[in-house]
Amino acid sequence: MSQATQPETVPSTWVKIASTDALAGPRPVAPVTAFGQKLVLFRDEEGELGLIGRYCPHRGADLCFGRHENNGIRCPFHGWHFDRSGQCTEQPAEPVDSTMYKAIKLPSFTVVERNGEIFAWSGEGTPPVLDA
Amino acid sequence: MITQKLNDQITRIGPNTPAGAVHRQYWQPAALTDELAGANDPMLPVNLLGERLVMMRDEAGDLILATREASADEAPTHHPAREDIRLVEGGPVYPVVEKNGICFAFMGEGEPPAFPNFDCFRAPESHVFAFKGLWECNWLQALEIGIDPSHASFLHRFLQDEDPSDGYGKQFRDKAANTDMPITQVLREYPRPDIEVDETPFGLKITSLRHMKGGLTHVRVTNQIFPSAICIPMSREMIITQWHVPVDDENCYWYTMFTSFDKPVNKELMREQRLKEHSLPDYAPLKNASNNYHYDPEEQKSLTYTGMGMDINVHDQWAVESMGAIQDRTREHLGRGDAAIIRYRLLLRKAIKAVQTGKLDRLPMQDMQTTPEIMGPLSNDAIADSDDWLGASMATDMERRQAAPWDATV
Repeated sequence: MSQATQPETVPSTWVKIASTDALAGPRPVAPVTAFGQKLVLFRDEEGELGLIGRYCPHRGADLCFGRHENNGIRCPFHGWHFDRSGQCTEQPAEPVDSTMYKAIKLPSFTVVERNGEIFAWSGEGTPPVLDA
Repeated sequence: MITQKLNDQITRIGPNTPAGAVHRQYWQPAALTDELAGANDPMLPVNLLGERLVMMRDEAGDLILATREASADEAPTHHPAREDIRLVEGGPVYPVVEKNGICFAFMGEGEPPAFPNFDCFRAPESHVFAFKGLWECNWLQALEIGIDPSHASFLHRFLQDEDPSDGYGKQFRDKAANTDMPITQVLREYPRPDIEVDETPFGLKITSLRHMKGGLTHVRVTNQIFPSAICIPMSREMIITQWHVPVDDENCYWYTMFTSFDKPVNKELMREQRLKEHSLPDYAPLKNASNNYHYDPEEQKSLTYTGMGMDINVHDQWAVESMGAIQDRTREHLGRGDAAIIRYRLLLRKAIKAVQTGKLDRLPMQDMQTTPEIMGPLSNDAIADSDDWLGASMATDMERRQAAPWDATV
């Protein structure tokens, strides 16, 4: 990749965050610290990876102990459910007519798997080419 | 979301802090009577509201809390041996009153307030069992889970119901009143309660309504007792009155009085159930962050919502400790299910302001005449026709009060 083509504010490199082995067990969920944040890495039921904020945006419970179900992670405290983009998709304790979940999104990062290792990129838009 | 400044104001409780000053206007659980172990001359280390104390008897034989010397790097629940305890000459000394298994201390200035006439204080000693346990987090997040009626449908969900007849001394194991449904099933099948919050002379009355099939409504009434306690039903026979008492800003004890309306409490059984989950002398739970609360992903798939066993205390402990030592409320997003939490924070902020402006009569339960007249509070589960849930909730409570072998009338 060429440094010169990247504006200074855009992170130019992928960061190795875990090895594929970290998600090898029957419950593919693992804590990760990267980009100065505590995050949770998981593989959803479509086989895609998600790297999202670790603490539930509701009251801060730890999603590393979340229920791995419904193609995402569900907080055990009140059942708030998040997909791999960090979007909240369900708030099953809130009234049926509530649409609050639509406005709730955890930080999330682009992730790729290459040669048994998992890399993340913290920028927006099109990521740089991964040389790994 | 609230500002960091406000979060600090409502959570920090050391000497000369705004919320600490509010706590110091109330009797605080300081030790279990069990911890004194019948000693005539006790020297029991007590760590309370950021102060390092020792419970002992004064020359008249009355229990007091005196200040002890402590190094700045002591562990939060440090428990020095008797021979290592040194009193601070001329340090503060606080009065202590023992009530049904708990030694309460008053750490404020001036006259202590009267005790309200709650069931846990009125019931005879035979009908009340007290215990405590350490949670490694700020007291406010520990209290807030107790005034959050919707979490029980998730955090405490059992994917299979136990036989309620095996549930003595445990939360949510009874059948819902007048039905064959275990409470666990009601909570699981109806996860979106309507929550009503009413201000009372003692704090808040919290009513959770779960509208069920067949025109029935499950009514669960719980209470916030200002500043740090809750009163909730445990079974048809027993209620729980539980304080979340700050050790310091980042640790707290729950102190619970289990009060029976019917038979004397089986204290040996309840003590044994709980002692095997805790280590002494600091009553630290054996399942904790250092061993991932014995989290088992297989169990989480098939049996419990958390994968942390059947003891709901452990679920609560995980939830509140996993937020961090002091929950970062600048990142929270409260919903309609958090109505009682929002209301409680307003009460606390009002109380902080009242203390700061010297208007102590604006705090709940400070009036010497009316506070002893505060009874109850009503705390129960009932299932009723949806158009008469309020009447049914009152009737269920009155029924057990009238049948009680002690004077539980209100």
